Amino acid sequence: MQQGRNAEGRVGRRTILKAAGTSLAVAGLGATATACGGGSGSGDGTVTLRYAWWGGEPRTIAIKKTIALFEKKFPKIKIKPEFTDYEAFWEKFQTQASGGNPPDVFQNAVGFLRKYDKRGVLLDLKTQADAGNLSLENFRNGVLANGQVDGKQIAIPVGANTMALVIDLKAFEKAGVEAKFGWTWDEYFDALQTIQDKLKIAGDTGYFSIMYLYDLYLRQNGKAFFTDTDLGFTEDDLTQWWEDGYKRVRSGLVADPKKVEQVKPKSALSAGLAASEFTWDNFSIRYEGEGESDYGLAPIPTTDGKDTGQYLGSLMLSAFSGTKHPKEVAQFIDFMVHDPEVGKIMGYDRGILATTEQYEAFKPTDDNSKGVAAYEEKVADAGVLGKITPHPSGADVIEAAFLRIGGEVAQGKTKPADAAKALFSEAKAAFAG
Amino acid sequence: MTLVKEAPVRPAGKRPAAPAAGRRGRRRENLAGYLFMSPWIAGFLLLTAGPMIASLYYAFTSYNLFTPPQWVGLDNFTTMFQDPRWQKSVEVTLKYVVVATPLKLLLALGVALLLAQKRRGQGLYRAAFYMPSLIGASVSVGFVWRALFSDDAIVDRTQKVFGLDVGGWIGNPDYIIYALVALSIWQFGAPMVIFLAGLKQVPQELYEAAEVDGAGPLRRFWSITLPMISPVLFFNVLLESIHAFQVFGSAYVVSDTRCGPADATLVYTCYLYQKGFKEAQMGFASAMAWTLVIAVALVTAVLFWSQKKWVHYEEAAK
Repeated sequence: MQQGRNAEGRVGRRTILKAAGTSLAVAGLGATATACGGGSGSGDGTVTLRYAWWGGEPRTIAIKKTIALFEKKFPKIKIKPEFTDYEAFWEKFQTQASGGNPPDVFQNAVGFLRKYDKRGVLLDLKTQADAGNLSLENFRNGVLANGQVDGKQIAIPVGANTMALVIDLKAFEKAGVEAKFGWTWDEYFDALQTIQDKLKIAGDTGYFSIMYLYDLYLRQNGKAFFTDTDLGFTEDDLTQWWEDGYKRVRSGLVADPKKVEQVKPKSALSAGLAASEFTWDNFSIRYEGEGESDYGLAPIPTTDGKDTGQYLGSLMLSAFSGTKHPKEVAQFIDFMVHDPEVGKIMGYDRGILATTEQYEAFKPTDDNSKGVAAYEEKVADAGVLGKITPHPSGADVIEAAFLRIGGEVAQGKTKPADAAKALFSEAKAAFAG
Repeated sequence: MTLVKEAPVRPAGKRPAAPAAGRRGRRRENLAGYLFMSPWIAGFLLLTAGPMIASLYYAFTSYNLFTPPQWVGLDNFTTMFQDPRWQKSVEVTLKYVVVATPLKLLLALGVALLLAQKRRGQGLYRAAFYMPSLIGASVSVGFVWRALFSDDAIVDRTQKVFGLDVGGWIGNPDYIIYALVALSIWQFGAPMVIFLAGLKQVPQELYEAAEVDGAGPLRRFWSITLPMISPVLFFNVLLESIHAFQVFGSAYVVSDTRCGPADATLVYTCYLYQKGFKEAQMGFASAMAWTLVIAVALVTAVLFWSQKKWVHYEEAAK
């Protein structure tokens, strides 16, 4: 390299270097300018908002249609969609939010409200409502309250959902058992026993690892999973719950967790390993697609023969407190929750439509949506719907821990008492985080 | 907002050439060198060194990404050492390293010995055995592995033939780790290629002399091959164990992202990931990361120390 080099060669190289340096610098500047331009306004008054959600493909297709509709009616606002699955969504969101760069509008759920309110990420939409950019009227069954924390409206519900029992209709019929409103846990487990005896399949897929089901059970007994700042039950309560659960795994009433694990991401219910599974009613659509049987929604078992402990939860839309365009954000949310056309497109994918405008506009035609609507009506008629209880900051981490530790109990790897202790210790860390 | 790609280029030769190469010329030459390296240096400082130093600081703080880090001294480390899940992750990782690394190297060496012999289609065999190393880390292979080791899949059926009815390994906390071990062993191609290179270096006359002296194949392997390739063996042991300590992708995918069931595949990095990115306990996660760095450094040091006893360098023999 050192030898055989002439003066001209050196000049050439230097010139190239300079050129490279300049173009690098220019490219860098250009990149910065582009980055600044993204998500912000531009010269002609057009505003771009980033809108993020989680969910499956059907939801993404539907939401994209609603976005197109919105952009047609508000030509000065452009929407940049971002979507992924649930777990990746919150990981990404956390990183973006900590860097001060979350989406302007995003899907939200009850378990995350206090967490991100505490971190100052969520815009209080009440001010926008007061300014007339967003209507807080016409929400059904008081679900608007799901988005309120300490007097602030930090999220607007798009739908209402409730925990339900999804059953394999064919299996229940073959075994000759029936799910009745107000049935007790004993009656429920007796029915599962009959199914197990007659059909040689398990009754349930692993009820005792589902935090939101345990919440219902606690509510039936005058408690709740969370208080404002802590867990609303004792270690002994949970030990008992998991001891009963593990007993039922060993007797085969609850499906073998090893098999449940292997069919993931498919549900053990649609894989035919068990005849029933507790989940949110708006998720029930997945079973028809995954499994070969017919599925329906059944009532939650009760403790006293009446109270199911149910309440309406919600998927919601929230906005970033630091958004440069709070007005446009409010207009967008308003359109998404009130516009009848949007309701027709979305259907019950995110729960029963939250506002009367959308609820009345959408007439379900498929069996699943009809089932969900009928189910909610029945629950409402039964007069058992309670109020949603608090979800302190850290609720999301605790839900994941509950599922994981419950799974360890099911596998026989952790004794129920030790498991309850572990959950309490992890909860303590999660509340502090 | 338009991007200007072409920068004005000064016509060559407009400026007189610099005086004959002296110290200034050399310095300029160095400068040019650094300039060429600058993307890499910038990347190293910004993307590797900077974050590493930051994480060293975070290791002694409580940091949830949103509120500024608060100094907590050694709290993260004391909590960590008492944390049952951390202990579990250490146990799982050690099991993986101790079982997977030797088996993988043994297979790699065995196949390398076979492939070192001259025969037709040698290149084809080598390529075929090397292939898994190229694709083994991919997500799709993780899915395939999940399928292979589930109920009624090939592994389950094969073991049933031998009267072992333990079911699929994926859902079983006692077995799933061995599915990961198998995935690691399957990628023996990379160390195999290195062994092959080492085997080619062994002087043929040593074998000839040994044969004349009546040494059998086993004896030749123990007394010639093994000592002669011991530097390569050392290199492979070092590299593969460091790799094994950092296993993440396969555990994450094969366990359907939860590193379960019942934390059975909760390898160290997976727990670190959960703590950092799911629970936003960045201080704790940083403490974990630095503990891993120190642990791996210690293992490396021990290996280097031990090589005096078993690694045979040719120069020393002369």
